[in-house]
Amino acid sequence: MDIIIPLFDAMSYVLILVLIALGLMIVFGMMGVINMAHGELFMIGAYVMVLIQSAGLPFVFGLVLAPIVVGFLGLIIETLLIRHIYLRPLDTILATWGLSIALKQGIVLVFGPEAQSVTSPLDATLVLGDFSYPMYRLIVMGISIALIAGTFWLFLKTDFGLMARAVIARPDTSAGLGINTRKLYRWSFVVGTALAGLAGALIAPTISVDPQMGLGYLIPGFLSILVGGAGPLAGVLVGGGAVGGTNSLLTVWISPVAAQIAVFILAILVIRLRPNGILGGKNEK
Amino acid sequence: MKNKLPLILTFAILAVLPLMVGDYWVSQFNYYLVYGLFALSLSLVWGYGGILCLGQAIFFGIGAYVMAVTTKGMISPILMNSYIGLLSAVIISAAFAALLGSFLFAGKGINGAYLAIVTLAIAIVLERLMSNWYALGGYNGLLDIPPLNLGAFGYSFELWDSLPTFYALWTIVFSVALSLSYLVRSDYGVLLTAIKTNPDRLAYFGFSILKLKLSVFCLSAAVAGLAGALFVTIDGFASPTLIGFTLSTEVLIWVAIGGKEILLAAFLGAIATRIAESWLSEIFGDYWILILGITFMASVVLLPKGLIATPLSNLSKKLGLKID
Repeated sequence: MDIIIPLFDAMSYVLILVLIALGLMIVFGMMGVINMAHGELFMIGAYVMVLIQSAGLPFVFGLVLAPIVVGFLGLIIETLLIRHIYLRPLDTILATWGLSIALKQGIVLVFGPEAQSVTSPLDATLVLGDFSYPMYRLIVMGISIALIAGTFWLFLKTDFGLMARAVIARPDTSAGLGINTRKLYRWSFVVGTALAGLAGALIAPTISVDPQMGLGYLIPGFLSILVGGAGPLAGVLVGGGAVGGTNSLLTVWISPVAAQIAVFILAILVIRLRPNGILGGKNEK
Repeated sequence: MKNKLPLILTFAILAVLPLMVGDYWVSQFNYYLVYGLFALSLSLVWGYGGILCLGQAIFFGIGAYVMAVTTKGMISPILMNSYIGLLSAVIISAAFAALLGSFLFAGKGINGAYLAIVTLAIAIVLERLMSNWYALGGYNGLLDIPPLNLGAFGYSFELWDSLPTFYALWTIVFSVALSLSYLVRSDYGVLLTAIKTNPDRLAYFGFSILKLKLSVFCLSAAVAGLAGALFVTIDGFASPTLIGFTLSTEVLIWVAIGGKEILLAAFLGAIATRIAESWLSEIFGDYWILILGITFMASVVLLPKGLIATPLSNLSKKLGLKID
């Protein structure tokens, strides 16, 4: 069965993409902020892992530290940058783009432009009959599923999530009912960035960690949320599945470059023909 | 006429500058003129038309490749002519914009942030495509593109030196800038302002939003295509980077820092950023890009109208002018 391995590869790519897209989606769906620096926050998560490994600290420690560091960075970014331009959504694209350039160059200055490698904490391979797959990737998939479920739980089952969804639906009414919308925006932004940091740290051992890695995930991440529909959180699952799954499965038959071009074009077609996404209903307007 | 004085003055200063500096700087100014022209195209579509195109290099790159292919004689030796090259670069860029625009804007269309992401994705797709299109040089691009040849009727007058090239470029860029500044103050410019601020009401008055958006998108693409075509004649080299992500980012920064809502500010933004880059990147080395990113961020937050446009519009208020 040659198709099982590509299917697993596709699934692991989809899960990471969904993690990244979830972070983007929380920020975009809630505050209308397009965070072009999200890819760089993901990258910084991976670089935290590089630092942790070069310091000889345990891998798990990096997994804990990365979301904290990146989330804290998110807090700073929100305070210094995002909160001043909430009312100018299109300007957030430009400002966060400037931020992404600055962060990227900051990493180049500290670590140099070359790729860093993070060794996998587990060399074991799962073997079941003819099927074999690296254990670490399976664990990454498991953690990703848990994180995605956790994010859904946070936004669908907790008081915080209820308030967050109220703010998304009717910002003014929620503010009138006494919800501190600014504070909610701030913590949602932090949750989104921390997710990106954790995703970066998780995936660091399976990819090459370099200053340009963010863009390769940012655009598919955005296409995922636009394809899925920028309304319900579940849209991210559908969008991430569609974009990531198509991309990985196409690489079985055609070159990675051709696959990526094909996916981008397909995604643009979907966005154009169904502006509210696959899950989105008819436009209310 | 009075309102055009700042623009005319700027170009008059530009015209005498090459006589005072060395050959190196003249060739640098050739690049600045072309980048300035490119910035004008983005200012037109974004600042005046209200369409945020994050992939403006798409059209620059198309112009560059069309010019390269034509003047290198890769299509047919009969077409190896700078005029034909420039003309076809402009037409093909505009035609691509018309196709892309009718796909993106027709019906309910894509707007705002969605459009920004989609145009950026298209630029990345095209960059990948050009890197793998081996007939057009692939990743290595096309080399040895001939300079502008202003000869006609059998005479050849190739612009190998930087000084004559400068004045040829200056003439082209000045005419385009002046025409655009008249255009945005015409009835058409009023329609553009309307489409940016309240498209629904414009539709109510019986104007076709689609046609207007398409026209400004195509016009801007034509200008960007012209800039791309001129670029390869001075650089001699067309590569996939001309069509993709990096250049799209750069032009966005120039225009945002300069000021998107004033053509002259966008033009000067491109030149000022490039000059700053060539000086400051020597002083600060790798820190320069960091500084550029932070400046860009700060200017978006603190001076959303642009670092050059804000003083320029204050000045124009004092003088009672309407600068474009």
